[in-house]
Amino acid sequence: MTQPRWTLAAVLAAIIFLLCLPLLTGSDYFIGIAISGLIFLTAAAALNLVYGYAGLLSFAQLGFWGVGGYCSALAVMDFGWSFWAGVLFAGIVNLLLAIGIGIPIIRTTRHAFVVVTLTFALLAGLIARDWVDVTRGPLGIPGLPAPSLMGFSFSTSARFYYIALVFALIALAFLYSLKTSRIGLVLKAIRQNDPLVESQGISPAPYKLAAFVIAAVVTGMAGAIYAFHLKIIDPSFLDFYYMQTFLIIVIIGGAGSFWAVVLAGAAMVVLPEALRFSDELRMVIYGVVLVAVMMFMPSGISGWLENRRIAALRKALR
Amino acid sequence: MSAILRIAELSKAFNGVRAVQNASFEVEQGSITGLIGPNGSGKSTTIDCISGFQRLDAGRIELGGQNITNISAATVARAGLIRTFQNVRVYDSYNLLDNLLVADASFRGLNWFDVLVRTPAFRGISAAAEDRARELIELVGLTRLIDAPATVLSYGQKKLLAFAAAMMARPRLIILDEPVAGVNPTRVNEVADILRKANVAGISFLIVEHNVEFINSLCHKVIVFEQGSKLTEGTPEAVSNDPRVLDAYLGIAPKPEALPAEAT
Repeated sequence: MTQPRWTLAAVLAAIIFLLCLPLLTGSDYFIGIAISGLIFLTAAAALNLVYGYAGLLSFAQLGFWGVGGYCSALAVMDFGWSFWAGVLFAGIVNLLLAIGIGIPIIRTTRHAFVVVTLTFALLAGLIARDWVDVTRGPLGIPGLPAPSLMGFSFSTSARFYYIALVFALIALAFLYSLKTSRIGLVLKAIRQNDPLVESQGISPAPYKLAAFVIAAVVTGMAGAIYAFHLKIIDPSFLDFYYMQTFLIIVIIGGAGSFWAVVLAGAAMVVLPEALRFSDELRMVIYGVVLVAVMMFMPSGISGWLENRRIAALRKALR
Repeated sequence: MSAILRIAELSKAFNGVRAVQNASFEVEQGSITGLIGPNGSGKSTTIDCISGFQRLDAGRIELGGQNITNISAATVARAGLIRTFQNVRVYDSYNLLDNLLVADASFRGLNWFDVLVRTPAFRGISAAAEDRARELIELVGLTRLIDAPATVLSYGQKKLLAFAAAMMARPRLIILDEPVAGVNPTRVNEVADILRKANVAGISFLIVEHNVEFINSLCHKVIVFEQGSKLTEGTPEAVSNDPRVLDAYLGIAPKPEALPAEAT
C-alpha cells in the first residue's frame, strides 16, 4: 500500500511528542503506560514481521519475550552484569535459540508451525515455574535494580521511559528499513504465493528463518527491558496475556502493514486507559470494540482500507 | 539442433496410480515446442517434475546438458528454466511493477547487506530492473494498469502478467502451462506474436495448451501425450493428421480403409 505524503511529517511530530512526554505529565502512572505501550508496540511490530510479512503465525514470540526477560534478570542478579549487558545477552541468547528452533520448523506446514511454536512458548513457561534452582520458581526474582549509565541512574519512571523510547525507535526504524527493502518485498511475496516465489528462483526458507530470528531478537530485548520496568520477573511474565496483546495489535492494525500496526499499537494501549471514565464498563467496551473491528474489518484496518481502494479501482476499470 | 531440455524415461506415480510412465522427449534449443494430450494424460505431472515441484520416481532430466533431476524448484529456476502455472499465480496485493521486480534474476548476486543498506551496486541493479519491468509490461500491453494491484486484473490479464514475470527472470527455457486458456480470444494472436518475438530473442518454449489452433500456428514441433507417456511427436501438420492422435482425444479413430475416398 502506498503511504500518504504526510507520513514523514506525522512521524517527526510523533517523535517530538514522545520526547517531550515526561515534561507534559508528572504522573508516573501515565509514564508507566507509555513505557508499556512502547515496548508492546515494538514486540507487536516484530510479530508483524513473522506473521504479517513471512506469513508464519508464531506463538514462540511469548517464549522469546520470557527468555529475554529472564536472561537479563539473571545476568544482572546472578552474574553481576550491567543492565545493558543483560539486554544484549538476552538478544544473543534469543538469536541462538531462534536459529536452533527455526531451522527445523521453518520447513513444516503452517499448522505444524503454529503447534510447535505454541509448544515452545508453553515449555518456556513451564521452565520458568519449575526450574527453581535457576529461575527461583513461582517466587520469581524481585528487586531488579534501576539501570545506570556512567553514574547516571535511570531510577525514576520518566528516566526509564527514555530507555524504552530509544529502544523502540531503533527497533522500529530497523524493522521499517527491512520492510521497505527488497527483503520485505520478497517476504510478503512468500506470504502471498509460496510456490510462485520458488518458481522464480528464490528459496523461501532463508527469508522465513531470517524473519523468525530477527523477530525473536527484537522481542527478547523488549522483554528484557520490560522486566526491568516491572522490577520483578516471575512466571506470570510468560502469561498468555502478553501474546494476546501482541496478536491483537497486529490483527487490528492489519497483518503486513507497518504503519497500521504501529497506530493500532498506540490505540490499543491508550484505549483501555481512555475508557477508565467508567470502571464497570471499561473491559466490556474494550471487548465490544475488538469484536466490532473483527466483524467489520476481518483483515484489520489496513486490510479494510486496501479492500475499499481495490473496490474503487475495479469500479473505475469497468 | 541440440536439445535445451532432455527428458529420459520419466516415471511418476501417485499412491500406485501411474501418472507418467517412461516418458522421453526433447525440446530443441531455440524452438517452440507444444505439449498436448487429453485431460489426465500426464502433462501437468510431467512439467511439475521438470520444474522441481514433484520428485520423480525414475528418469533423468537435463537442461542444456546439466543434470537437473530432483533438485529444488528454486534451483531449477536459477539454472534457467522458468515455468508458469495452469491456475495462474501472481502476487495479488502487489502492483504490476512489484510483481515483476520480485521475479528479477539480476538481484540474485547481491548479499543482504547490499539490499538493506541499498549500496550503489543495489541501486544500479534496481534502476535497471525497473526499466526492464516497464518494458515487459508494455510488451504484454498492461502499461495502463502498471500501478494497480494484480488482484484487479482479469484471469487472462493475469496470465499475461505471469508471462512477463517469467521473462523477467531471464530464463533460457520457459514452460507455459495453458498460456491462452481464459485469455480473450481476440488477443490470442497477440500472445502468439509476443511469444514469437521472445523466441527470436533466444528463449526456447515448451507450451502445454488445449487450443490446437494456437499450438499449430506457433510450434515447430508438437509432442502428444496419452495415458502417461508420449504417443507421438512431429510437426503440427503431421500430428494433426495422425489417426492415433484423434483416437486419443475422441476415442473413435476412423479406420483408414473405412474413410470415404475424398477425406483421405
